Amino acid sequence: MRGRPRNNEKLVVEISSGNLPEKKTLSDRIRDSFSQVPLLAWLCGILVAVLLERFLGDPFTELLGLPKIPALFGALTILRKPLLIPGTMAFLLLIYILPIIIVLRLCGPVLNRLAGWLFNLSSAVSVVIHLGLLYGILYLWSDISGYRLLTLKLTFIAVIVTLSLNVINGYMGEFSCSHPGFMALGAYSASIFTLLFFVDDKVFGSALLPEFLGPFLFPVALIFGGLVAAIGAIAIAVPSFRTRGDYLAIISLAFMFIVKSLIENLEFVRGPRGLSNQPNYVDLPTVFLWTVAAVWIINNFVRSTTGKALNAVRDDEMAADAMTVNTRRTKIVAFLFAAFWAGVAGGLFAHVLRYVNPSTFGIQKLAEVLAMVYFGGLNSVYGSIVGAVSLSLLGEALRPLEIFKWIIIPLLLILVMIYRPTGLIAFKEFNVMNLISPKRRK
Amino acid sequence: MVTYFLQNLINALQWGSFYALIALGYSMVYGVLMLFNFAHGDIFMVGAYIGFGVATGLVSLASMGALALPNWLILVLTILISMFLTSFVGMIVERVGYRPLREAPRASAAITGLMIGIILETGNLAILGARRVRFPTLIQSTTYNLGGVFVTNKKIMIVVVSIALMYALHLFVRKTRWGMAMRAMAFDTVVVPLLGVPVNNIARMTFAIGSALAAVAGILFGVAYPVLDPYMGIIFGWKAFVAAILGGRGSILGACLAGFLLGFIEIFVVMIFPSTLRDFIAYSIILLILAFRPHGFFGEPYSARLRL
Amino acid sequence: MPLLQINNMSHDFGGLRAVNNYNLEIEPGQIRGLIGPNGAGKTTVFNLVSGIYTPTEGDILLNGQSIVGLKPYQIATLGLGRTFQNLRLWRHMSVLDHVKMAQYSKISYGLLGAFFGTPKRRREEAEIEEKAYGLLKLVGVADLADQLVVNLPYGDQRRVEMARALATEPRVLFLDEPTAGMNPEELIQMMEIVRLVHREFGLAIFLIEHRLKVVMELCDIIQTLVFGEVIAEGSAEEIQNDPKVIEAYLGKETIL
Repeated sequence: MRGRPRNNEKLVVEISSGNLPEKKTLSDRIRDSFSQVPLLAWLCGILVAVLLERFLGDPFTELLGLPKIPALFGALTILRKPLLIPGTMAFLLLIYILPIIIVLRLCGPVLNRLAGWLFNLSSAVSVVIHLGLLYGILYLWSDISGYRLLTLKLTFIAVIVTLSLNVINGYMGEFSCSHPGFMALGAYSASIFTLLFFVDDKVFGSALLPEFLGPFLFPVALIFGGLVAAIGAIAIAVPSFRTRGDYLAIISLAFMFIVKSLIENLEFVRGPRGLSNQPNYVDLPTVFLWTVAAVWIINNFVRSTTGKALNAVRDDEMAADAMTVNTRRTKIVAFLFAAFWAGVAGGLFAHVLRYVNPSTFGIQKLAEVLAMVYFGGLNSVYGSIVGAVSLSLLGEALRPLEIFKWIIIPLLLILVMIYRPTGLIAFKEFNVMNLISPKRRK
Repeated sequence: MVTYFLQNLINALQWGSFYALIALGYSMVYGVLMLFNFAHGDIFMVGAYIGFGVATGLVSLASMGALALPNWLILVLTILISMFLTSFVGMIVERVGYRPLREAPRASAAITGLMIGIILETGNLAILGARRVRFPTLIQSTTYNLGGVFVTNKKIMIVVVSIALMYALHLFVRKTRWGMAMRAMAFDTVVVPLLGVPVNNIARMTFAIGSALAAVAGILFGVAYPVLDPYMGIIFGWKAFVAAILGGRGSILGACLAGFLLGFIEIFVVMIFPSTLRDFIAYSIILLILAFRPHGFFGEPYSARLRL
Repeated sequence: MPLLQINNMSHDFGGLRAVNNYNLEIEPGQIRGLIGPNGAGKTTVFNLVSGIYTPTEGDILLNGQSIVGLKPYQIATLGLGRTFQNLRLWRHMSVLDHVKMAQYSKISYGLLGAFFGTPKRRREEAEIEEKAYGLLKLVGVADLADQLVVNLPYGDQRRVEMARALATEPRVLFLDEPTAGMNPEELIQMMEIVRLVHREFGLAIFLIEHRLKVVMELCDIIQTLVFGEVIAEGSAEEIQNDPKVIEAYLGKETIL
């Protein structure tokens, strides 16, 4: 069965595009007109939209009779007060959709040429400019309300966690349940670090270092958290030499419970009451930069031959071994690497909420992270970003539905699993160069 | 000291009965489909609530005088009716979450199971609200003093019913045609369907039986600890899942033994250490056991490649 | 000194003797064959030499160095390449990635390179990619480099597997039924490829085959394995006429 070529799909496409008379539907035309729009133009369009929102948002909300600027693209408003649907829609149309379309239409070709010029000049410069634009957008968007800012920060953290879990569950094909445990290790280690050195509080006494050093040494705290998590991951990595699949899943699950109940029993971190008072170091640039670093490094890793050894181990370990792949090294690197990033994410998480307690890192967190990984797509950096962002935002947007949110989101996931069992965007390489390159007419 | 030990032994037997009954459901589904039914813990919860509904209904009918039933008969009827009703929950779970995914990566089915579990919990919350409900008292507790060891009739009943059901299941799997088909599917999923075994029916039946057993566990739990809450399935479910794995995948005997073992560990940990350390020590012991027996008590070494 | 030397190798599977007192010497550039009925232990011999199992007794010397007890990847790195009877390709990886992956042991950019994309990494990745393309061209599937292996026809999958094995830079190549499941046309092409790589790299080749025609045409010396024991060894002609071989394959001749 394996040997049979699967050409059917290709054949169908060729016939439909080649022999039939071309008939452009509206959706085709829309797709055509957007297919030549580079990422740069999208970013510029969205930037214009958020600028409009910043300067004209308040007058518009008054004009349209809305109580305040819709926080998450109107989802919350619509679900709470259905009467405001027309106003919200008009707001979205005027502030977001129309300006973006206008920018794409007017400046698309110019920006495409600019993107090409930048790309040829230096891809690194181009990447930096794109990231700068993205940051600008996020800054302006999140500046409207504290709620937006918090949602954004938590979304970024979710991206890091999801990506790092995808390294094990997607790229290496194990079913690891230990990620909340790694996050907890990272969150507590980083919190202890900052509380011990930079904060006067009741738990750890007065600060050991001058407070002004804190923001500068915060990366050290995060890395420390990541390293502690990575050391914890040895407990999973070593059994993974001998056993795979279900038993490893159980070992990792047991690990998660052990970490949780260990912290609950440690009086010096106040047990189940949790740690609070973490310094407010995680502003938007911090979390943005760490997320970019995580995406960049993880993407680098999974695209290298060393990283693709994970796929080889997953698809056929015996063959990998026979083809000179050091499978033990590969496994231990994967677990430690993934745990490191989960730990970093945990550290960020603790400092965003400025409070952690062990019950955060239980089954619920596990289900959440697993859902993001499998919803977005296995073996795919795109997938993890999409999964983390969409489920985080969806979770916030459906908040007015209260507990029914927890029926809708699981149902959505079941549907995705049934129709796309490996997730929405699975097995796709994340190639930054393709992303920032100018689009050409086909 | 000895009496203290024996006292705890009896408690552990009772506690382990719940785990063992739930673990059976995990283990059976695993044996037949090679998939974990992560919704099973919540099916246990649903079973307990269905039992609560049926029992409350029967008690109120009896008190209105519509039915003249003694309490023990109400309990028997509750168990039977709830087993029947809960088995449908299991079959629906199979149809919605597992049949479409039988060829998919196994992890995807695990995710649907998890999600169905969340839906069941939330559905329960939505219908009954966040308040806890009280399981009606069907058996007046009588305590027997056997040389310093206190045994209640409830505990005896729970342990006896559980072991009887396990034995019945054992007979079913060993002696009947259906049981044989189940074992055959556990052995080979490619050839067995070709031999005319109705795979879908067997899968459905496996879920139904597992759910019925979970319902019994739920009712017995309600008899012993009358307060039910929608999240009771999570704690019990995951632990029973661990027990099922510890017993060896697909092994009925293994699941029972591991369920009781887990009960013993938890009760005896609390006997010696502060109760907050219960999970920590229990899971550490499990980790140690798995370190030395990576395939559980009765499991076979893992050789098949992961389906991804 | 022979390239690969196996002395008195035996292996038990829980009391069952799968391979008994097996001896082999392969000189550089030789093509040797191993035939035998189903279940004779041919693949077990391969798995013993390539390190998947460790022999209960005996010694295996590769280039004069004992490789007993080494991990399969170490043995492969020392110059023993192999293919598998049932291919064992990585189903979610592209053809090119297969051949790049098999050069894992040549990568020296380390984790730092993997994480940060250093210039050294870019250089090495380019090198192994170039070499991978060369091998794919050699076996004739270079135009399929970006395809997933599962989308390839069976014959091409076999070629990819051959390229993958060659990418480990073996000195001895073990081929486990390289023509299994092939139609006559593919079979002839495969034999051409075996001859080609033999010529091109001066490899020593050791192959298991079911089809006597293939072994007879390719191999200098052939061993016949029955129930884990070598019952005959010699040239194609000698083997063909050996009564013990005929008996193992066709049963004892009975005269009524």
